[in-house]
Amino acid sequence: MIDYLVSVLTEGTIFAIMALGLNIIWGWSGDFDLAFYGYVALGAYMTLVLTIGPATSPTQYILGLTLPFPIAVAIAVISAMLLALVVGAIALRHLRGIYFSIVTLGAVYVLYVFAGQFVPLFNGYNGLSGLFDPMGDVLGLDFTSYPFFYLGLCVVVLVVVLVMVTRLSSSRFGLALRSLREDERAAAAFGRNIYAMKLKAYVIGAGIGGLGGALFAGYLSAFNPSAWSPVETIVLYAAILVGGRGSNRGVILGVAVMVMGLQEATRYLPEISSQPSYAPAFRLILTGIVLVLFIRFRPQGLLPERRMRDKDAAGKGGAAVAVESAITGPTLDTGAA
Amino acid sequence: MTALLEVQGLHKHFGGVQAVNACSFTAEEGQITGLIGPNGAGKSTAIDLISGFKVPDTGRVRFEGKEVQGKPPHVISRMGLIRTFQSPREWPGLTVLENMILACFEPRRERFWRSLRGPSRAEQERADDRLLRARAILDEFGLLHLRNERAGNLSGGQKRLLEFGRIRMAAPRLVILDEPMGGVNPVLGERMATAVLAFVTTGTSVVIVEHNLPFIERVTDQVVVMAEGQVIAEGPFNQLRGNPAVVDAYLGEMPTYDDADA
Repeated sequence: MIDYLVSVLTEGTIFAIMALGLNIIWGWSGDFDLAFYGYVALGAYMTLVLTIGPATSPTQYILGLTLPFPIAVAIAVISAMLLALVVGAIALRHLRGIYFSIVTLGAVYVLYVFAGQFVPLFNGYNGLSGLFDPMGDVLGLDFTSYPFFYLGLCVVVLVVVLVMVTRLSSSRFGLALRSLREDERAAAAFGRNIYAMKLKAYVIGAGIGGLGGALFAGYLSAFNPSAWSPVETIVLYAAILVGGRGSNRGVILGVAVMVMGLQEATRYLPEISSQPSYAPAFRLILTGIVLVLFIRFRPQGLLPERRMRDKDAAGKGGAAVAVESAITGPTLDTGAA
Repeated sequence: MTALLEVQGLHKHFGGVQAVNACSFTAEEGQITGLIGPNGAGKSTAIDLISGFKVPDTGRVRFEGKEVQGKPPHVISRMGLIRTFQSPREWPGLTVLENMILACFEPRRERFWRSLRGPSRAEQERADDRLLRARAILDEFGLLHLRNERAGNLSGGQKRLLEFGRIRMAAPRLVILDEPMGGVNPVLGERMATAVLAFVTTGTSVVIVEHNLPFIERVTDQVVVMAEGQVIAEGPFNQLRGNPAVVDAYLGEMPTYDDADA
């Protein structure tokens, strides 16, 4: 039971990291990116090919190095960011809304088919495996204690990412990104370089996605094209929407509800032996129903994006500003004026 | 002295339509220049061309002596030329105060690494000053009590005022107002006339596109009349009243400011 709980929590933590990355792209900058899981996948693949050693026949893949796990993760993140730079540079140049989404969907399918068909890259549809308990032997952990360590590692990474995105979110960078989401032409009229800012957000978000993918590879110890079907992206979007688009805390809550809660709750449905696929299908149907209900009744999500509150009671100048702010928090909290 | 804004022989066509055809005019520093003309005269296109939202086919735009035609909008904005749009374009999901603060473009503070590290002491002090200024301007426009409200919840008139507030925050060298009086009632109109006049006293010259002629008569120093993509007359409003080309193209029966009050 405890093993099961640890694995659910680990997976949830990893998905929370990915969702925080996607939230920068969709929640702040406002771009409905369907290529996101491609960056997760690249992060996972790169981590594997950099750590599992040379390929032995009949498997084929590039690199085949045995780098330490943290270095492999760093390279995986950079790879995801470079790929996002290329895709984003094309897709964000002139396209917005549904047109942007379609181009990113096209991009992820190209990657998907390429990774599947071009076997020498990542061993095609059979995928890669063999990353067992990264860093486990260095730290002298056995297979019973390792899951706890890996959960701890993922939680630490999540906290670091959360601190980073919270700082960014409340900074002028985060606020300016939201102005692009709200009205791009007005943002340009007030001096914002739309393309550069959106591309920056896209690459940062993809980097966090790649980080999530790298941790996912360590958790699964394997990765193949069937692990990154388009449904995975929808699960992340569902988590962000339910939690609160743009809100970091909301996104984590959303992952808890939609990824851990919903998926695990449906795991205990009674089995119907003649219909083995009914449980996963029912899970997707339930995800869809929850999404529809949220869009209809609570589009802002469970924990909506918080806006700056200027609490100066007198209303004008002079007095200190008490701020409970996710957005401009410390920058306004002068206390001195 | 060179003019603050100098437009020379601007051309722009869309398919077979010559939207702007050899449009030339100037706007002087410290003045309010009106840009009037019938619908389809090319006023809005001219604004788009000047502010970089559209690229002219040919022609020159000089702002403070520097050529800006074909430059992207954010570059022109950073040089000190800000425009508004026919319908107010607030950032609806952000609060009124956030809208005001974001009107000031701070390239250094909006960088990724700077944002991750947090503002420096000097930047923090500037931000505090800016906050006080934002509050003062909101107070002037009667929007202070709404400062924590999402801008999308404001009424149409309040959004117009917020637009003006953002311009005051940005304090550009020149602002181009595109039909600021659209759908504005007379009382609010008076307030907006005062606000337009206040732009000049705070160092922002104004180009204003407007169909409300009493308003134009009241606030402008110079008027440029456009018709069919061309400038057909230029001069103080009172002189243009008698210009047959202007009357023919646009004015017809001339209302005066007093008429509108009655």
